[in-house]
Amino acid sequence: MVGTEHVEMIPVAKKEIWSAEVNGRAVEVLAPSNAVLLDVLRDKVGTLGVKRGCDLGTCGCCTVMIDGTPRLSCLCLAGQVEGSTILTVEGLADGAHLAPIQSCFAEHGGSQCGFCTPGFLVTAQALLNENDSPTDQEVACAIEGNLCRCTGYQQIVDSIQAAAAIHRGEAEPAAPASNPHPDPHPSGPEEPQMPPGHAR
Amino acid sequence: MSGGYRQQPGGAGKVTRKDGKRVAGKQAFPPPGSGGSNPTMAPRDLDFIPEMVGGKEAQPAGAHVHDRARTGTSVGKPTALVDSNAKVTGQAWYGDDVRLANEVIGKILRSPHHYAKIKSIDTSKVEALPGVLAVATGADSPHQFGVLPVTKDEHAMAVEKVRHVGDLVACVAAVDEATAMEALNLFEVEYEVLEPVFDPKKGLEDADEPIHWRGKYHLARTNVQKRVFQEFGDRSLVETPLASSHGKWNMAGVHHGFTEPHAVVAHWDPNGRLQLYTPQQVPHYTHRALATVLDVPMHQINVIRTFVGGGFGGKSDPFPHEMCAAILARKSGRPVRITFDREEVYWINRGRHPSHIEVKMTADEEARISGFDIDALIDGGGFASFGHVTSYYNGVLATAPYELGSFHYTGARVWTNKPASGAMRGHGAVNTRCAVEVGLDEMSEQMKVDPIDLRLANLLPPHSRTISGFRITSNGMREALEKVREGSDWDSKFRQMPLGKGIGIGCGFFISGSGLPIHWDPNRFPHATVHMQVDMDGGVTVHTGAADIGQGSTTAVAQVVSEVLALPLEMIHVRSHESDTSPVDLGSYSSRVTFMNANAAIRAALEIREQLLNAAWEILGYHPNNLVLNDRRIYYKHDPAIGVSYLKALHKAQEDKGALIASGAYRSPPMGGVHKGAAAGLAPAYSFSAYVAEVDVDVETGMIKCTNVWAAHDCGKALNPLAVKGQIIGSCHMGLGQVLSEKMVYGRTGHLQNPNLLEYKIPSVHEMPHVEPIIIESCDPEGPFGAKEAGEGPLLPILPAVVNAVYDAIGIRLRDLPLTPDVVFKGIEKGMKAAGVDDPLDLTSPRVEHGALQPLLVKRAAEHKVRDRARQRSEDTDPYVNGVLFGFDPNLPLEDQVEGWRTATEPDPEQLAELGLAGKAWLKKEQRHMGGDE
Repeated sequence: MVGTEHVEMIPVAKKEIWSAEVNGRAVEVLAPSNAVLLDVLRDKVGTLGVKRGCDLGTCGCCTVMIDGTPRLSCLCLAGQVEGSTILTVEGLADGAHLAPIQSCFAEHGGSQCGFCTPGFLVTAQALLNENDSPTDQEVACAIEGNLCRCTGYQQIVDSIQAAAAIHRGEAEPAAPASNPHPDPHPSGPEEPQMPPGHAR
Repeated sequence: MSGGYRQQPGGAGKVTRKDGKRVAGKQAFPPPGSGGSNPTMAPRDLDFIPEMVGGKEAQPAGAHVHDRARTGTSVGKPTALVDSNAKVTGQAWYGDDVRLANEVIGKILRSPHHYAKIKSIDTSKVEALPGVLAVATGADSPHQFGVLPVTKDEHAMAVEKVRHVGDLVACVAAVDEATAMEALNLFEVEYEVLEPVFDPKKGLEDADEPIHWRGKYHLARTNVQKRVFQEFGDRSLVETPLASSHGKWNMAGVHHGFTEPHAVVAHWDPNGRLQLYTPQQVPHYTHRALATVLDVPMHQINVIRTFVGGGFGGKSDPFPHEMCAAILARKSGRPVRITFDREEVYWINRGRHPSHIEVKMTADEEARISGFDIDALIDGGGFASFGHVTSYYNGVLATAPYELGSFHYTGARVWTNKPASGAMRGHGAVNTRCAVEVGLDEMSEQMKVDPIDLRLANLLPPHSRTISGFRITSNGMREALEKVREGSDWDSKFRQMPLGKGIGIGCGFFISGSGLPIHWDPNRFPHATVHMQVDMDGGVTVHTGAADIGQGSTTAVAQVVSEVLALPLEMIHVRSHESDTSPVDLGSYSSRVTFMNANAAIRAALEIREQLLNAAWEILGYHPNNLVLNDRRIYYKHDPAIGVSYLKALHKAQEDKGALIASGAYRSPPMGGVHKGAAAGLAPAYSFSAYVAEVDVDVETGMIKCTNVWAAHDCGKALNPLAVKGQIIGSCHMGLGQVLSEKMVYGRTGHLQNPNLLEYKIPSVHEMPHVEPIIIESCDPEGPFGAKEAGEGPLLPILPAVVNAVYDAIGIRLRDLPLTPDVVFKGIEKGMKAAGVDDPLDLTSPRVEHGALQPLLVKRAAEHKVRDRARQRSEDTDPYVNGVLFGFDPNLPLEDQVEGWRTATEPDPEQLAELGLAGKAWLKKEQRHMGGDE
């Protein structure tokens, strides 16, 4: 805090019960009536995948889907979206199966440090829900409010396009194997055997 | 981890094996060592096995010492980061995601003054506020710390004075954020405001109250933190130049702009040990600093690196807020979490130094580069940070990739009352590199030659020494230049495009790991250590201190282990988060991690591999020389049917000792000269890069749009091409920000005006050009499987490539970065005046007609190409030192070359009058030479 003058703090608002559907689950928490949605999601609901990057609506890390529309949770009072359906990055996967957008971000280098990733994923999913064959320009317009400092966006656009192909049914989703190597210890073409007559 | 992600299904899986036998219990996969349900292993992937050992992977640079360890498993294959599933599911835990039970919130009181003495701090009202659990001030942290042992000048909180707006004054822990914020208002601090210094030029002068005081080593009463003088080579060569370039540059400070703000959680556990969670690139330095500040032995501290939401050098200092959290946690007895808001991130800064750089370059009648004269005055802000090193890097990292007749560098870093500058991606090398590459462009124009040919005819070959004595091993510079020339269709575009469209070239040279560890003698301790353990189930646990900050170092380490042991990546588990479990590691800076940690990991894995092969030898009777490792199996190389599963061999090897354990270390070979500062810039290998950028300049508004970049980077060997490409494109993004839009704006009052992401302009997706990443593999003889760095070097060439392209587009040299429209338009107005035109659309863009030197350069470049190829493949192993091009004897040490050869680290008295801006620091004397020691 930089400043010399004493600033009267805004009096703590009265706590109220806030309810919404977060990632398919009905949630009821006690939060101040003037609480910002980002704070409620992180501190009360526990969806820590929603990231706080700037508090100013400039970085897009805190993007969540509210009734199907991507919005910045840092610029949104919780009270404004009372009762709505909220989807965070934690809700993208179908149970333990990754959504195409998630596996594509992993496989095409769309995520490096990963901090901006939740915001990008939600934004991109919202785009794909509306339009499963976006042009690169349409993808760029969708993610223009999200900052990424690692990837230079190119691999993010690639990831989104790869996911779009899966949504269109042109590409196979990544195989949801419970164990990528169901057989951890294969033997050779035939049963292992001792070679006859070989000295050690 | 490709192939989708799903949690283990628990009890509901298949319960019979392929052979029909029932499996005990409810396991969904065959029990270890059963032979499995799928009796065939994957075929050997010959495309990823080097041709010298029987595979199909081309090796233009010749054989490598690690060739025999290749199994075609994962090296060289595009690989998703092993932690990417955590990141895409939102489960990756960054600093602020660590929530411990009973946590309290810490907040920091920051200075409102640029420079002031603290006369008193009254905390009584704070302590009386209900909900406040602990208060701390500078009195609680008397010990100084700093990232470099030679410049420890920081306190956890200001002890005597505050040195910039935002400097830490006190901190408080309270039950919730609102209470903590309220508490900050109740501190009563009495300041005595001092005269601040903002202009680094003023920092060179004596001050009443220097920002720091270094006793007998203090330079007069100035604010100079470090001065450097270096001169190498034959200075007589610069006297009669054919072409010369003289440029004065003004470069604004830039910030890393990582998306995750700093955050820290400190907790003293019931045994009195400190558990500190922090997103750090260099946990070990924090570890050391914590021990000093808290007066606790290092073994009583466990530093836990959380996931790091971007670092780029900005999270590599031990930070005062980390100390504050630990102090508050100790006082309150509760876990304390401190999270910065975005503004605070800018107050702690450590970004790239604002710089005044002057470069004079000369070329002789054969278009050889006879001299580089660099003068760099860099603005360090309030603290030293990495600045000691930055002062050197601004000069010495410009000594290659070109062969120079002479090199002269003066540098000075001054303290000012601004947030501290520090290390940022491309540490110290970026700004001078830009100035030098633009100078080359200017000289090539004077000589009427193509700038790419000028470079190609003046490159140092592989296995050579630079003018300052750096040992260059592999060198892919030539190939990089050729590839971008071809890819960009350079020859039909350069100096041939219409007004407003331009194309430019820039090169880069960067260290791949600092040759000297900061805190210890490399002859006594290695640079990197990796521990490895294989237990009965066959999983390999790798312990390393390498800090993954998103660049994929964990993946690189996992990949090399998987490659050596021929195991799928999923069986390699890298543990790198805790200082308790990982060996000491210097962390992620100076692009050292892949080179050093992967090398150490290979060594440990080779030890395990030897034990496995010996066990297989006992079972099969074939000598390990005749055995092949492939996909969890070891078999006789002439008959794959004769073999043993990895697990059987493992169990055999474990019969006597239980778990297999190995430890591998990497230390760099002895290198470098003996002159003062010889260690700065030393590295076991260097990366090279060449970029061509294409820009559109709107001459009526000065707006620049970079449209295309061809980016060739020599990373030795791309262990993970996906990650290397990501690094190249990401570097372009960050460099483009610096050259076009990013700038820390200090207003007339010295106040930082844009500490937020709205006004600090990081390029969005719309500003990004199309980047064509081109990977050059020169196969470094000492790198892990030939790899070198790819994280920082790729940033260097984008700046000069854009600046040169802007010149190609509008014919105006601009030397004030960033090239925001106002700067560009001012240049255009000047250009209009000079050309006598009223309409910017009447300006003409430059054209070139090649002169007599051009064919000479092309011929020389062709000869050098043959030379370089022979040297790269070690067919020619004669020594080569910088200066052979000028007729020097490669067999003589550099300093014995000719009579006029100089190696100087201090100016001669007669030179003093002609030194540049930063060189003025040499007009002052240290206190110890002034007869005084205050």
